[in-house]
Amino acid sequence: MIHAAFLIPILPLAGFAVLFSLGRRLGNPLAGWLATAMVAASFVVTVIVFVALFQQAPAHREFTQSWFTWFGAGRLRVGAGILVDPLSMTMAAFITGVSSLIHLYSIGYMKHDEQFPKFFTYLNLFVFAMLMLVLADNFVLSFFGWEGVGVCSYFLIAFWFERDEAASAGKKAMIFNRIGDAGFLVALFLIFERTGSFEYTTVFSRLGHVGTPSLVAIALLLFLGAVGKSAQIPLFPWLADAMAGPTPVSALIHAATMVTAGVYLMCRINPILHLTPDAAHVIAWVGAVTAFVGATSACAQNDIKKVLAYSTVSQLGYMFLAAGSGAYVAAIFLMLTHAFYKALLFLGSGSVIHAMDEDQDIKNMGGLARLMPITGVTFLIGWFSIAGVPPFSGFWSKGDVLQNAWAVTPALWVIGAVSALLTAYYMGREYFLVFLGERRWTEARPVADGHGKELGHGLHPHDPSWHMSLPLVVLATLAALGGFIDLPFHPNLVFLERWLDPVVGPSLLQTHFSVGQEWLFSVVDAVIAVTGVLVAASVWRASSSRPALEPRFLFMAWFVDRGEDRLVARTSTALANFTATVVESRIVDGAVNGVADLTRWSGERLRRIQSGYVRNYALGLVAGLVVLVAYVLVRVGS
Amino acid sequence: MTGSTAILASMAAHLLAAGGIAMPRIDYTAILPELILLGGMLVLVLVSSLSPRPLPTEAYATATVGIGIASLVASLVLWRDVSDHGPFTAVARAVNVDGFGVLFLVLVSCILVVAPLLAAGHLRREGVGGCEYYVLALISGSGAMFMATANDLVLIFLALEILSIPLYILAGFDHLRESSGEAAMKYFVLGAFSSAIFVYGIALTYGATGSTNLAQIAAFLARNVVTSDGVLLGGLALLLVGFAFKVAAVPFHMWTPDVYQGSPTPATGFMASMAKAGGFAALLRVFVTTFPTLRGTWQPAIWVIAVLTLVLGAVVALVQSDVKRMLAYSSINHAGFVLLGLQAATARGVAGSVFYLFTYSFLVLGSFAVVSAVGGKGDERHGLERYRGLGRRQPALAVTFAVLLLAQAGAPFTTGFFAKFYVVEAAVSAHSYALAAVAMGTAAVAAFFYLRLVFLMFSDVGRTIPTHEGAATGGTPTDTLEMPSAGGVATLVAAPVAALVEVAEPDPAIVAVSPWVAAGLVLCVATTLVFGVWPQPLVDFAHQATLII
Amino acid sequence: MGSLDSYLPIFVLFVLALAFAGLSIVASKLLAPQRPTSAKEAPYECGIVPANEPPQRFPVRFYLVAMIFVIFDIEVIFLFPWAVVYDQLGRFGLVEVIVFAAAAFFSLLYLVANGALDWGPVRRVRPVSSLQSRTTASTVRRVGTGSGEAA
Repeated sequence: MIHAAFLIPILPLAGFAVLFSLGRRLGNPLAGWLATAMVAASFVVTVIVFVALFQQAPAHREFTQSWFTWFGAGRLRVGAGILVDPLSMTMAAFITGVSSLIHLYSIGYMKHDEQFPKFFTYLNLFVFAMLMLVLADNFVLSFFGWEGVGVCSYFLIAFWFERDEAASAGKKAMIFNRIGDAGFLVALFLIFERTGSFEYTTVFSRLGHVGTPSLVAIALLLFLGAVGKSAQIPLFPWLADAMAGPTPVSALIHAATMVTAGVYLMCRINPILHLTPDAAHVIAWVGAVTAFVGATSACAQNDIKKVLAYSTVSQLGYMFLAAGSGAYVAAIFLMLTHAFYKALLFLGSGSVIHAMDEDQDIKNMGGLARLMPITGVTFLIGWFSIAGVPPFSGFWSKGDVLQNAWAVTPALWVIGAVSALLTAYYMGREYFLVFLGERRWTEARPVADGHGKELGHGLHPHDPSWHMSLPLVVLATLAALGGFIDLPFHPNLVFLERWLDPVVGPSLLQTHFSVGQEWLFSVVDAVIAVTGVLVAASVWRASSSRPALEPRFLFMAWFVDRGEDRLVARTSTALANFTATVVESRIVDGAVNGVADLTRWSGERLRRIQSGYVRNYALGLVAGLVVLVAYVLVRVGS
Repeated sequence: MTGSTAILASMAAHLLAAGGIAMPRIDYTAILPELILLGGMLVLVLVSSLSPRPLPTEAYATATVGIGIASLVASLVLWRDVSDHGPFTAVARAVNVDGFGVLFLVLVSCILVVAPLLAAGHLRREGVGGCEYYVLALISGSGAMFMATANDLVLIFLALEILSIPLYILAGFDHLRESSGEAAMKYFVLGAFSSAIFVYGIALTYGATGSTNLAQIAAFLARNVVTSDGVLLGGLALLLVGFAFKVAAVPFHMWTPDVYQGSPTPATGFMASMAKAGGFAALLRVFVTTFPTLRGTWQPAIWVIAVLTLVLGAVVALVQSDVKRMLAYSSINHAGFVLLGLQAATARGVAGSVFYLFTYSFLVLGSFAVVSAVGGKGDERHGLERYRGLGRRQPALAVTFAVLLLAQAGAPFTTGFFAKFYVVEAAVSAHSYALAAVAMGTAAVAAFFYLRLVFLMFSDVGRTIPTHEGAATGGTPTDTLEMPSAGGVATLVAAPVAALVEVAEPDPAIVAVSPWVAAGLVLCVATTLVFGVWPQPLVDFAHQATLII
Repeated sequence: MGSLDSYLPIFVLFVLALAFAGLSIVASKLLAPQRPTSAKEAPYECGIVPANEPPQRFPVRFYLVAMIFVIFDIEVIFLFPWAVVYDQLGRFGLVEVIVFAAAAFFSLLYLVANGALDWGPVRRVRPVSSLQSRTTASTVRRVGTGSGEAA
């Protein structure tokens, strides 16, 4: 059954092909159902392959399926094929699973959109690209998927491109990602130059011949790619802007799947990181600082989705912290649980936005829990999960990360713990402002806002249709119980760790901590989480405005965006203007025009030779002959 | 046409002369593709002679496509033989069946499959139907095949003539146009002139080495160090002139613009692909395998010729206002690129050249077919201005032409890109950096005039011409081809053809495109794009082009 | 120079031929009586005195037939070497020459079918206006009077 693995990416691709050609004809909602069915089928195949892989002995859980040679030149040979191993199948399983739910949700969410089929076309293409990224058996094919998801992300962020902010957010995401991709690309060149191959297994088997400086360079360049794709410092501002896309997109691409591609990459190259502890430290520190900056920034946002966006940045920071600490299992564990609860939170916020008729300002909400019980309860579960309240999933996964951080250096643990406190706090703030407290929306809504059809009636927030509720419930269940796939108390309970062991090796956890210490960590984590929740409750239960707690520099995300704009964007714009006006138009154009004029002039001269007379042509032939013969005779003489 | 069967007779005669009256054993399977072409040609002649009323030109085109496919199959069978059992010589070592030769058999067969499709519409429009065009094409093709597989200078010469003489006639095929006759006359006179030089080259080579058999010459040169034998080197120079004329390398190119411009347009495309395929096949074989020891002498000469060819082709094409003439110069530029592979004189260079010829053949056939369609009745409206706004009037046709032109310019995602890439790579790996740099430079110059034409097609006309939605919808070939499995294979094939076909000429600006031409164009574009995105099969194929000595 | 010995007879023959031609001309100049009259100077010694110059343009047909003759003549010459060694070639030679003869015959058939050997007034295939540029091929009448050509 493992051989069915090729169907996993092919099904969404087929969905894309059909939607691309016939999408308009299928229309609304058939196109959505088709797309959902394709991804769900892919999920089913994934589960089948997953089970088949599980039945193998742990040492044999690696299987390469080569399709064809994609291209080659010289000794370069790039194949198209997939690598089925525990890591890739874990990724594929949660990608297809979460994607299926979000596809289903989108059928309801995008119901009134005119571009309904196009949306699902992009979504299916995205799922295909994402699956190629994680399933590829070589770096280049992964890069293909990497760029593919980037393109889809661009399409989907700018889906409502009539809005200026959506169009420019799409561009911004593209540009920030290009910076990272450049790193990835250079890393690819370096990998090939040093190992002569792109295939993961071959490259990893040849690492012994590669010098440490090259390995550090490869690791850091790949990390640069991951920084761009996974929105780490300093390349994170695009993720906040990316919230201009439809909410399902934010949930799928900018929370659950695409942005975790960088983490996946780091886990995939764990043999390289094992050999380069310095690079791993860099990754861990960047992750930790990002976790802190993201968490603090999330505390001061007023847009319901921006809170979640910065939260995502922060959570991704945790994942890199784990990967950099050598705790790949923890990174994957957090990635999984994060996919559940963050997708849940985004989808919940989508329901809220729907209910509030496209208003996203949490200061204009409040008291929705009673009107939208399903959304409210599931959002609550999401909050507790991300906050790390036991026994919700986030408690286990984040605890795992923090313990590993401590094992590297306690300083990392401190940063992580503070961020965890903030996480519980800012999500609590959001929950209280949106779902509890007084209703601020009836009067706070300006009349001119929103669509014409709603103006007369006012708002009647209610839970969404079943397409949208069902994914919420499923994800809430997963978010609540997802932690049980990897319980730290007993070696028999660390299912995920044993499963991933053939790929990433054992984490540092077992080697450093006794059971007692683990209990201590767990208690501390739980205390931190509960403290954050309680602080949020005490501060935001009654009041909706506390300017002292929402400083401007946090609202502006530490001015990173503006700083980069000033430092990099403006200076490069100035440089570009200079080159455009001075270098380009005077020097380059002059040279080019000069060459072009010279070419044209010589062409005009040369065409005169072409007289049209056969005798002249014959003469030319003879002249050439004479020169040739003279040349060979000179050769004879010498 | 009987002259062509003389090849068999003379082959036999040659054998007789060589070894008393030793009974020749002719391995007919080794020359089966050629025999299929010649036999098919005879059948066409017979049918056209005996049919009580003249058959439509499309009937002959279909038959020719069938013959081409048959010879393609035979060539592929030979190819499998060669890759399974290794290369061999046949017909008393006069014919050399190796990977290189067989690849050209395949190429020539492919040309013969596509070319009749592209010519049928033109011949009907110009009222010069009948079997002759196809018969001549088949003879010429058999000549090209013999050139590619010949292992003897005498056979190469015969094949050269068999390749060339039908081309002279094809150049003058449209006997109602004066320029066509003029083209034929010029081509013939100069071609005869160069043939004479070539024969003299053979004579000198024979005099110096004592054999006309390529293998024996090579063996002789390996035994005797004769790097400064005037007779031999003179013979080499004369052979080079003969080949260079055939492939239109500067300074032996001067016939090209006039002949390409004057010939009936589909014949130009055929001539450009067939003559280059045959000429380069023999040129590569003779110089790379027979005279490797004289490399020090001929490589610099090829270097100079390649540079001249590249530069002159690109530069003069720039100032042409007639599209056919422009394409003629551009084909000179292409010849320069193929010479890069020869100059490298490595296996990689040969493979690069073969790959280039493969892609170039389809591009040039397709391009001239579009030019033929746009030229309209009388085949004379070939000015650049004629193409302004073609993108609006006939989007499918314009997109087709654009793809072919971009591929010629070497745009990525087309075969043209890989073709240029591989020959330049070969040049670089043979340390001919300056030559590679020149080639890249001329590619940039050439890109200018290709793109100018593309822009012209898609620029505004100024006045609005009623667009024909019927022709516009149904998808252009490109976007249909880029989505596999969409709508089934049937639409995949039918839709682009339907998009291209334009039967009536309701507006003088709209040009007619017959279904035959459309089908041929779709083939050309499909190969260009499919192998442009996924070149590996074609690259692997070209790398089979190993020469044996 | 031994290898050149075998060419000696050819050289001698060549010299003899030249000598014969030269001698004939010289001899007739020297020996013949030369008494020119106006009648002897005329283009034709007898018959009607031409009223105007003979037409300069012959029908292309003459050349065509001559060319066809030459081509087939040369084709047939191939039979001579074959005939000389016919016994040694055996069945192989027979098959080859039959193939060759068939090809030659098909060509002849083609020419006949296309009216290349028809003699008589030319039936115009195309309107005269399109014949401003006459070439050899355009005067070759085709069977079926044009329906095969004029589309």
